[in-house]
Amino acid sequence: MWPRIQYYCPCMSGSNLQTPPPPTLTSSSASFHPLHNLYFCEECDAVRCNRCVSVEVSGYYCPNCLFEVPSASVRAEKNRCARNCFSCPICRSTLSVVASDPPDDGDGRPSASLGNVGEAPYFLYCGHCRWDSAEVNITFEKPTGLAAQLQKFEDSAPESLEFERLKEHFEPFLRTSSLTSSSHLPAMSSHHLHPSSATAAASAALARDIPGVGKYNPLARSRAGRDRTANKDEMPEYKSRVETAVFSQLGGGGDDADVDLLRHMETVEEVAKLEQRWGNSWTTPPRSSDLRPHRIPLHSKVSKRCPACRHILIKPEQKAQSVRYKIKLVAANYLPAITVGFPQTGATKRMAGKVPSSGTDAKSGIMHAGTSNPFQLALTNPLYDPIQVRLSPQRVADGRSYQVSLPTSPFSVAAFAEAWEYDDDEDMFGVEDDELGIGTDTGRSVRDKAPRGRLKNVGILERKANVTVVGGEVNIKPGFKGNVKFNMMVSYTYRSDDPLPSEDGVGTPSRTTKVPEVKTFSFYTAVDLGSSMVSNDDKPADV
Amino acid sequence: MDALVYYSKAEFIETDTGNKVSRRATIAGPQNIILGGKTIISSGAIIRGDLRRTGPGHAVVVSLGRYCLVGDGCIMRPPYKTYRGNFNYYPMKIGDHVHIGANSVIEAATIGNHVIIGKNCIVGKFTIIKDCAQVADNTVIPPNAVIPALALFAGSPGRFVEDLPESTQEMVEAQTKQYYTRFQPLDR
Repeated sequence: MWPRIQYYCPCMSGSNLQTPPPPTLTSSSASFHPLHNLYFCEECDAVRCNRCVSVEVSGYYCPNCLFEVPSASVRAEKNRCARNCFSCPICRSTLSVVASDPPDDGDGRPSASLGNVGEAPYFLYCGHCRWDSAEVNITFEKPTGLAAQLQKFEDSAPESLEFERLKEHFEPFLRTSSLTSSSHLPAMSSHHLHPSSATAAASAALARDIPGVGKYNPLARSRAGRDRTANKDEMPEYKSRVETAVFSQLGGGGDDADVDLLRHMETVEEVAKLEQRWGNSWTTPPRSSDLRPHRIPLHSKVSKRCPACRHILIKPEQKAQSVRYKIKLVAANYLPAITVGFPQTGATKRMAGKVPSSGTDAKSGIMHAGTSNPFQLALTNPLYDPIQVRLSPQRVADGRSYQVSLPTSPFSVAAFAEAWEYDDDEDMFGVEDDELGIGTDTGRSVRDKAPRGRLKNVGILERKANVTVVGGEVNIKPGFKGNVKFNMMVSYTYRSDDPLPSEDGVGTPSRTTKVPEVKTFSFYTAVDLGSSMVSNDDKPADV
Repeated sequence: MDALVYYSKAEFIETDTGNKVSRRATIAGPQNIILGGKTIISSGAIIRGDLRRTGPGHAVVVSLGRYCLVGDGCIMRPPYKTYRGNFNYYPMKIGDHVHIGANSVIEAATIGNHVIIGKNCIVGKFTIIKDCAQVADNTVIPPNAVIPALALFAGSPGRFVEDLPESTQEMVEAQTKQYYTRFQPLDR
C-alpha cells in the first residue's frame, strides 16, 4: 500500500489549478486519483477524472453471452439479456441449462439415450449453490429461447400488466402534452429572473412527463394560472382493473400470512435477503425458496467527454469485447509517471534482518521518527521530447510533524523512445534492474550502493533512459504518529518542436505543434510515505 | 524502484526462449504444454498436461503465452465434461501477460491477454476470462462463468465489481514485463 503517490484532479475545486486540499484531511482523498485512472483533455490542457467526465453509452452487451444488444431492442427487452442468460436467485451467479437425467433402465448403467444431447424437461442449474429451477417449477421443453419462455411468466404478472395498462392510458395524453409543453415551456423559463439551466431543464422535464405539475411550479405560478385551462386536458380517469389490496397479497400473503410464515421459520436463510430482492421490479416473495431466476442485466460500453469543451476523451471500439479504443486520451500519456520508494539502504536492510521475506518492498513503517529518512521519486517521461521538471512540495501546515526536502532546482528527464522498450524486450539475459541502476553484479551491489546513497540523499540520484530518480528526505519530529503525507506541485516544461509528424495511433503521446515552442504544465500530486516506526521495535498501530 | 525478486539459480531451469520453470513444480505431460516465452512457473505449481483429450495424434493441453506467471502452489488443470456420453478433457488456453497468484486453482477453458488473477482463487471449469479482466484475491468463480473484458470480479461466488480503467492493458503489460526483469537468479 505505501508508499504511494496520487494525482490531483481540480474538478472538486472551483477554478483550475487551485491549491488542492491538504492531504491530511480525509476528504482530500476524493480529489486524488491514481495516474492511470485520469484522462487528459488536449483542448483544455487539463487533467480530468472519472468524477468529472460526462459519460455516454456507446453500446450494450450481455456480460454473460457477450452478445451486443442493439440499443433499439434494449428497452423492449427491459435492459436484460433476452437470450439464455439467467442469474441464480440465491447467489446471483450464472445459471446453466441442464437436461434431465435419462430414465434409469434398471441395470445401473447409462442408457443408450445418453448418446443424445439430453432429455426434456430442461431446467436451470446453479453451479455455485446448486439451486435448480425445478424447485420453483420452472422447466423448459426445449433448451433454446429460454428468455422468451420465461418472459411469459414475467409479462403475465399482475404488476406488469397493470404497468402496461398505465402506460397505455397515459400515452395519448403524453403525446399531446409534449406538443403543447414544447411551445409554452420556453416562455415559462424566460419569465424567471435567474434561470439556472439545470433547474429549468428539470422543471421542463417534470412538467412534460407529469401532466399538471407545471401549475404547482412556484417559479411559474403566475403563468400557470393562465395555462391551467389549456393544460387541464380532458384526461380520463384511470380505473385500475386490480384492487389495490390484491397487490399487498402478491408477495406471499399479506400481514397474517407473513406472521404465520415467520412463526414457522427455522433458519434465517428461509427469508430472502435484501440483496436477493432489490434487483426485482415487482414485489417479491419473502421466502427465499420462492425466488425466481432473473435475466442478466446488460452492461454498457461508454465513451467519455471532457466536461468543459465536450471533446471526446474515450471512445471505445464498437466490438463489445475489444479492449482497444478509437480515442483514448489518458493522463499517463501526457504527465510524467512518478513512483515513490525507499532506497535499498539502512532502513530496508534493518527491516530485512527482522522480517524474513525481504523480497517485497517495505510495506509500512520503515521510517523512523526523530531522524531524517531518505526516499526516492522516479519520474518517467511518456513524451517524445525531453522535459524539465521542477518539484515543489507544499509546506506541511503544522511544523510539529515532519518536514520534506526535495531538490528545488529543475532537472531533466530524457525523452521516451520506443527503442528502449524494445531493448528491454530483447536483451533479457543479464538485464539488471533498470530503475535501481545496479552495476553488473546483482545482489551484492544492492548493499554496495548504501554508502553512496547516504552521501547524497537529496538530489538527482540516477538517470537512465526516460527515467530520472531523485532523492528526497523527510525529517520526522520525535513523537509524530500517523502517515507522512504531503502535496507536491510538479511543473514540467517541454519543447514541442518535433518536426516528425506525430503518429495518430492510440496511446501515442502526440504533443506536436507547428511552431517550436516551450510550454509548461503543472499538476499537483499527493505523496503518502506511510507511517513511521514509533520506536525501534514497535510497529505502528494504524498499519 | 521495485525490489528485485530473487530465486536460487539451482532451482530454476531457463529455456532458450526465456521461460523459467522451477524444478519443484510438477509438470505432468510436458509434451502437451506450450509456454510462449519469458513465462515463469513458480515452485510448487502443478500443471496437468497429462490430462489430454482422448484420441490419436498430438494434443495441446495447456498453452500459456508470453510473460505469464504461474504463482507458488498453483494448480492448472484442464476442464473436463461428459458430452454425448463421452468423458473428455478440453484444452486450456491462456494468453500473454497473464499473472496467476499463489495457491489458485485454475480450470478455465480460455483466459485472454493481460489478465490478473489473485491469490487463493478458484476458477471453475470452462470459465472464459476475456482480455484485461481481473480476479481479486480469494475469489471463487463458479464453473461455466464468463468474465467480460475490463471487469473486476470478486467474492464467492465471483461477481462483477467494477469496470477497470481504460489504460489497464498498458499497466498490466508494463507490470508483467517488469516482473520478468526483476525475477533474477541468485547464486548460492
